[in-house]
Amino acid sequence: MKGAARGGRQTRSPELARSRADILRGTGGLRTRLVMLGIAFLFGSIALQLARLATTGGLDMVATLTEPVARSYVRPDILDRGGRLLATDIEMPSLYADPFLVQSIDEVTERLGGVLPDLNEGELRRTLSDRNRRFIWLKRGMPPKVAQRVHDLGLPGLDFRTELRRAYPLERLAGHVLGSVNVDNRGISGIERAIDDTIGVEPSHGAASNAGTPVRLTLDLGVQHAVEDELLGAMTRFEAKGAAGLVMDIRTGEMLAASSLPGLDPSQPGEALAPERLDKIQGGTYELGSIFKILTVAMALEGGNTKLDTVLDVTKPLTAGRFTIKDLHSSGRPLTVSEVFIHSSNVGSGLLALAEGPDKQKAFLEKLGLMTPMRTDAGPVAPPQLPPRFGRVEQITVAYGHGMAVAPIQFAAATAAVLNGGTAVTPTYFRGRNDAATPGARLVSAETSNSLRVLLRRNVSEREGTGRRADVPGYRVGGKTGTAEMPGRGGYQEKSVVASFLAAFPMDAPQYLVLVLLFEPKGTAEADGEVLAGRNAAPTAGRVIARIAPLLGVKPDGDVAQLPAGTP
Amino acid sequence: MHPLTVSAAFLAISSAFLLYGLSYDTRQLEARVAAEERRAELARSDIAVLKAERAHLARPSRIEPLARAQGLAPLTDKQVTDSVPASDIRTGAVNR
Repeated sequence: MKGAARGGRQTRSPELARSRADILRGTGGLRTRLVMLGIAFLFGSIALQLARLATTGGLDMVATLTEPVARSYVRPDILDRGGRLLATDIEMPSLYADPFLVQSIDEVTERLGGVLPDLNEGELRRTLSDRNRRFIWLKRGMPPKVAQRVHDLGLPGLDFRTELRRAYPLERLAGHVLGSVNVDNRGISGIERAIDDTIGVEPSHGAASNAGTPVRLTLDLGVQHAVEDELLGAMTRFEAKGAAGLVMDIRTGEMLAASSLPGLDPSQPGEALAPERLDKIQGGTYELGSIFKILTVAMALEGGNTKLDTVLDVTKPLTAGRFTIKDLHSSGRPLTVSEVFIHSSNVGSGLLALAEGPDKQKAFLEKLGLMTPMRTDAGPVAPPQLPPRFGRVEQITVAYGHGMAVAPIQFAAATAAVLNGGTAVTPTYFRGRNDAATPGARLVSAETSNSLRVLLRRNVSEREGTGRRADVPGYRVGGKTGTAEMPGRGGYQEKSVVASFLAAFPMDAPQYLVLVLLFEPKGTAEADGEVLAGRNAAPTAGRVIARIAPLLGVKPDGDVAQLPAGTP
Repeated sequence: MHPLTVSAAFLAISSAFLLYGLSYDTRQLEARVAAEERRAELARSDIAVLKAERAHLARPSRIEPLARAQGLAPLTDKQVTDSVPASDIRTGAVNR
């Protein structure tokens, strides 16, 4: 049994061994193949990864990993109409801290305080002790010299990033128009805000990059400076609390200058909060006084029942309820419409408005865009303050510029339409937005516009004209004075006025409109002790025109006191 | 050893050297590009500062006093005239 068993084993063993070897050989081949496949896969993936890195580049990845979250925005340069620089981006170092790497908070606060005295130490200590944060701005936009001193302290955990900061090389010039930017270089007011809203700004990584096409404004640096300089001079001469002035292309509405004093430094956005620094051109509304009579006379002429030689009885004061309206210097005789304008008769203007009626008066002001809020490129204009209803009193007072307050820029746009031949204009600060070849909608007839040109010119060229002190030889200036008492406690204040002068030149074919406002001028010796616009605003406008007319290329010509009039 | 194995090994080693060389060159070129870009950025930033400085120096509030100190003044209507023939100027026929 045993032998048989052994014999049996012996006889079976070669088969078994063969089959085992077969199995073994078979298994061994599979294993080798598997290992080879694995290695091939490994090498393949490495090759693929290499190829990917070679094509995409690994540096970007590194850059994004070290990029902090904060970033500033790239802004386009702002140029004036002649291509001169008004605002640009420059690189400045900004200091930040990584609290995780700061070794001694005491040392950092103490030594940094020595270089940057305006740093709030308590606040600094508090932010630096939060070691979970990895990025904290300490001071943004510092002069390179100061940055070098901080760098020389060699404090661990502090580092710099170059950021783009807005620079206004002309300081306060046109500060109100330009507006300002916030700490991230985004526009918050004025043209800067308009750039964000209409053109758009891109975030940057601190490096100077291509900021795109510069924005070209309609402002003219030379004209802007002349206006600001003359307004500043007038503020000193007449001891005024403020002044404002604008120069507008009368056909296109392009603003060549807009200034409001006291001025604003765009690099100090906090200044805008001071009430006296309010933008008086489009941020405030004022009762503009007699310059409104330009519109009243235009309305009367448009009505068709009134001509320039229509006679009005202005000898008796006008009464409306408990109010009595009379003229400052009554001539004591009936006046023609032309004389009402040149003598600036409140009674005459009231009569003209009453003759037209409240509906026509409202419709006319509506047509000129004075009843609805307006917008310019530099932001919204302060909405007009209108009388609640157009009763007899309101009709009369609005006729001579009281009881209704509008922003000067809105009034200038309305008057430009009356004087430019009768077509609507929209004030703009962006060059190329308004096209002179496509005039706006017709608001008044060419005849009315021509008559008003004659009246404005006569008001400056004639001896009894209130605007005679605005005349500039050769430039055919026309204009209208306005002296509005300012509302105060207990009614209007006689001695505190807004003196204004609205002028256009050259009056035979007006090209430019000039509006000058003086706020609370005093009756100084230069003004012969008076606060009337004819004594302060008119000569100021004259000085402005004398300076800007040559800059604007207006050709001086022989005086044309009497223009060929469409309507007598 | 099988000749195929030898040639494959040779190919692998040589391509490794080639790849390394290529990658090294690429890195060098990238570093040069980065350096050039940095220089361009620096130049651009310098230009921006210089432009701002030029505008600051040419600001009208600075130029005006300088011009007035030189005896210059704004143009007046008396200084503008139509173009006239040169002969009239010589004969003194033009008198504005």
